[in-house]
Amino acid sequence: MAAQPKPLPVHQPSYLEGGGIAGWLTTIDHKRVAVMYLASALFFVAFGGLEAMAIRVQLWRPDNHALSAAIYNAFFTMHGTTMVFLVVMPLLLGFLGNFLIPLQIGARDVAFPRLNALSFWLALVAGILLHLGWIRGGLPDAGWFGYANLTERYFTPGLAVDWWVIGLLVSGTSTVLTGLNFLTTIIAMRAPGMTYMRMPMFIWAQLVTSILILIAFPPLTIGLIFLLFDRFFDTHFYVASAGATPILWQHLFWLFGHPEVYIMALPAFGIISEVIPTFSRKPLFGYPMMAYSVCLIAFLSYGVWGHHMFATGMGPVADSAFAITSMLIAIPTGVKVFSWIATVWGGSLRMTTAFYFALGMVLEFTIGGLSGIMHASAPLDLQQTDSYFVVAHFHYVLFGGVMFAILSAFYYWWPKISGRMLGERLGKWQFWTTVIGFNLTFFPMHILGLWGMPRRTYTYGADMGWTHLNQLETIGAFILGIAFLFFYINIFKSLISGERAPADPWDGRSLEWSTPSPPPAYNFATIPQIRGRDAWWILKYGRAGSRGVAAYMSGQAPSQPQAGEPAFVEGIHMPAPSIFPLVLSLGVGMMGLGLIIDWYRIILIGAAVVVLSVIGMGFEYADFGEESHDPEHAPSSGGIDVRKIGVWSFIGSECVFFASLISTFIVYKSRSLAGPGPKILNIPLTSFSTFILLMSSLLMVLALAATQRGDKRWARIWLGGTVAFGLIFLCGQVYEFTSFCHEGMGLTTNLFSQSFFVLVGFHGGHVAIGVIWLSVLLVAAMTGKLGRSRALSVELAGLYWHFVDVVWIIIFTLVYLMQAVPGA
Amino acid sequence: MSDFAEAHGAQVRHPGAATYLIIAAFLVVLTAMEITVFYVHALRPVLVPVLIVLAAAKFALVAMFYMHLKYDGWLLTGVFVFPMMIATVLLVSLLMLFAYLSNHMAPLG
Repeated sequence: MAAQPKPLPVHQPSYLEGGGIAGWLTTIDHKRVAVMYLASALFFVAFGGLEAMAIRVQLWRPDNHALSAAIYNAFFTMHGTTMVFLVVMPLLLGFLGNFLIPLQIGARDVAFPRLNALSFWLALVAGILLHLGWIRGGLPDAGWFGYANLTERYFTPGLAVDWWVIGLLVSGTSTVLTGLNFLTTIIAMRAPGMTYMRMPMFIWAQLVTSILILIAFPPLTIGLIFLLFDRFFDTHFYVASAGATPILWQHLFWLFGHPEVYIMALPAFGIISEVIPTFSRKPLFGYPMMAYSVCLIAFLSYGVWGHHMFATGMGPVADSAFAITSMLIAIPTGVKVFSWIATVWGGSLRMTTAFYFALGMVLEFTIGGLSGIMHASAPLDLQQTDSYFVVAHFHYVLFGGVMFAILSAFYYWWPKISGRMLGERLGKWQFWTTVIGFNLTFFPMHILGLWGMPRRTYTYGADMGWTHLNQLETIGAFILGIAFLFFYINIFKSLISGERAPADPWDGRSLEWSTPSPPPAYNFATIPQIRGRDAWWILKYGRAGSRGVAAYMSGQAPSQPQAGEPAFVEGIHMPAPSIFPLVLSLGVGMMGLGLIIDWYRIILIGAAVVVLSVIGMGFEYADFGEESHDPEHAPSSGGIDVRKIGVWSFIGSECVFFASLISTFIVYKSRSLAGPGPKILNIPLTSFSTFILLMSSLLMVLALAATQRGDKRWARIWLGGTVAFGLIFLCGQVYEFTSFCHEGMGLTTNLFSQSFFVLVGFHGGHVAIGVIWLSVLLVAAMTGKLGRSRALSVELAGLYWHFVDVVWIIIFTLVYLMQAVPGA
Repeated sequence: MSDFAEAHGAQVRHPGAATYLIIAAFLVVLTAMEITVFYVHALRPVLVPVLIVLAAAKFALVAMFYMHLKYDGWLLTGVFVFPMMIATVLLVSLLMLFAYLSNHMAPLG
């Protein structure tokens, strides 16, 4: 018989109880990690908010000098960077995603709990690095998009941009790990019966967002790595005088930047798709189309980056292609808006603050969406580029759309998170001041933009006629500040004396409402059997949802999880806490800090900490490399282990990483102004290296086959052979690099050399990591710890090794054998 | 097999050593063909398409047999192939965009 959520005992400790400070520092509980993301975002939003207020004060009147131009530049740069990377994404993914995904899919945690904690600590380290400029070196001031070549050391000396580059690299790593974790969790850990078409729409949004993260962040990472090389190692990836083009940065940045808009918007859509049905007391209208729309939006979002670059002159074909895809994306987005409206239509509405914000989001986001379609038109966009119209548009999307959704989510899920209700009265005050303040601040920007006021302008002349609207905007910004004051007061009051929240205060539809408020550490005493969409609603009222409406209309309270029968919780095995995610993140932070302040001892210490932490994590559990999971809901059920899905997801992301590197090599290989070119490449040597690497793949699969059949001796031999062949390949690469240096081609010689060394060097780095990984397995095999039961560990390492091999197949062809073919 | 396994076509049976050796032989032959094509000047006009086909064949052999995509079901194939397609589109798009840029901008240097 299908398992149902069992009633929970009266005093089950919630996830918030126990452990003290050490418990929080070592926690890997997804809910605690979520709360730490929340605390971190609320800390950084104070910075971002105050920077915004300062910007508005500066623009209050013409020829104002309340701030210096340099500080003004730093503030708008840090405002954008902070809000995108340290506030909105952490709130949507780290906070809401972390808290809700396992609860909504009926799981006890995410697939990789320690990786999850690592993501948080890395995000915190990134935030700190980004803000260390307050203490030393100054704040970055090149805009949140960091356009090249303004970010080059020649134009922006000092440490400010260095903090930005390193901070964003760490932040990006954290986000990719989160995406990988969520993707694996949603694919593999859904409760029995929860098919894809039964998932809550918030889960759909998080699933697609995770995929988007994995394919959108690698181009940014590559762009930042090039910038890092330019600033620290004197390469010229973005220096026009060396033959390079700063446009490369714009492509790499917007390849990330536009999907990033949807990385923020899709979870917001998911939130609204949860809140509106609950308070309309109707199922979500057009669920399948909503799910398909999420997928289509994400897919199209990867093909619209060029609309940020119409002004760079991409040509009529590219302009037309990007214009068409940018217009097309309005269709699935429109589907969502109409579905929300249709859900509300005819519903039994409950006008709570959460619902207010959800409705507000639909309206404000639609305005932002409509001005977005205007940007899809290349001729019109040329008039709007770099004007305040653009600022208005993206604030209507990111504040009107995303922040309204986050606030709606706050009022909706806060009772579940904290166990306390938020005040509705203060909430309504907050809503109306937010609506008034937001529209006063950002709507006039449309007009100012069309009048020609450039964005990022430090000040303006009195004769421009922009004064009154700017003053209106500044007043609006302060009203918005008051709105957030209401918000903070509401949270404070709730925590101190808020009404205790029942398990299901809104008569919710999804599984999280079946747990106590706040939930216990293990989430579910028994993993529920899912019978349809709106899983909790069906469990409460049966499949015919209309019976629930009838019960509500007749004043009958819906059934709640009742205190009483103790749940059978003794058998639940939760992952143990770990200090290593925190320590590893500190090591990463030390490496970044050391690189920036040019103190190599700190880099070495940081690197040692990172290596030791990775080893520590590897051997932390008896089953080395394995996370402890509750056996009742083993995520490896069905033959595909979560780790295998995780490694494949990582490999998928790496495809885009190497594609970005290879593209740059091909573009730059024949643009060098001086020095050796592709003819210097040694084909016979590389052919031999290629043969060695291909044969290492053969040895690797033979090692796996031997491990799977329990043949320890041959497993050792084949693993040893793979490691040896990997080392031979690396030696060949070292010889090749050394000989190039002797022939006068170093890293900074020309565009060919720098793009070659970075591409091939990164591949070599991957090979080196693979050799280390395989060496650990070899040691385990030599000590008799690599039995048949751990064949999966060999398979995972093998997957990575084969991927490194296939990347080399591509590099060998495109870089070496096609050396005579001119680049783009 | 559980719902999850059925839903994702999960299988765990992998080929044996004989298959791996045959694939290795194919890889060696294909690599030899690549190098030959590189050195034969008469083949220069078709160098690019031939090399791309040969590299794609090697790539597919490793992915399907050594990485077991042929045996592990559609889920893992999807997790790999979708980003792979995106990566390919990205590469081709950037090359085309920069080709246009190079042809229509002022000479460098």
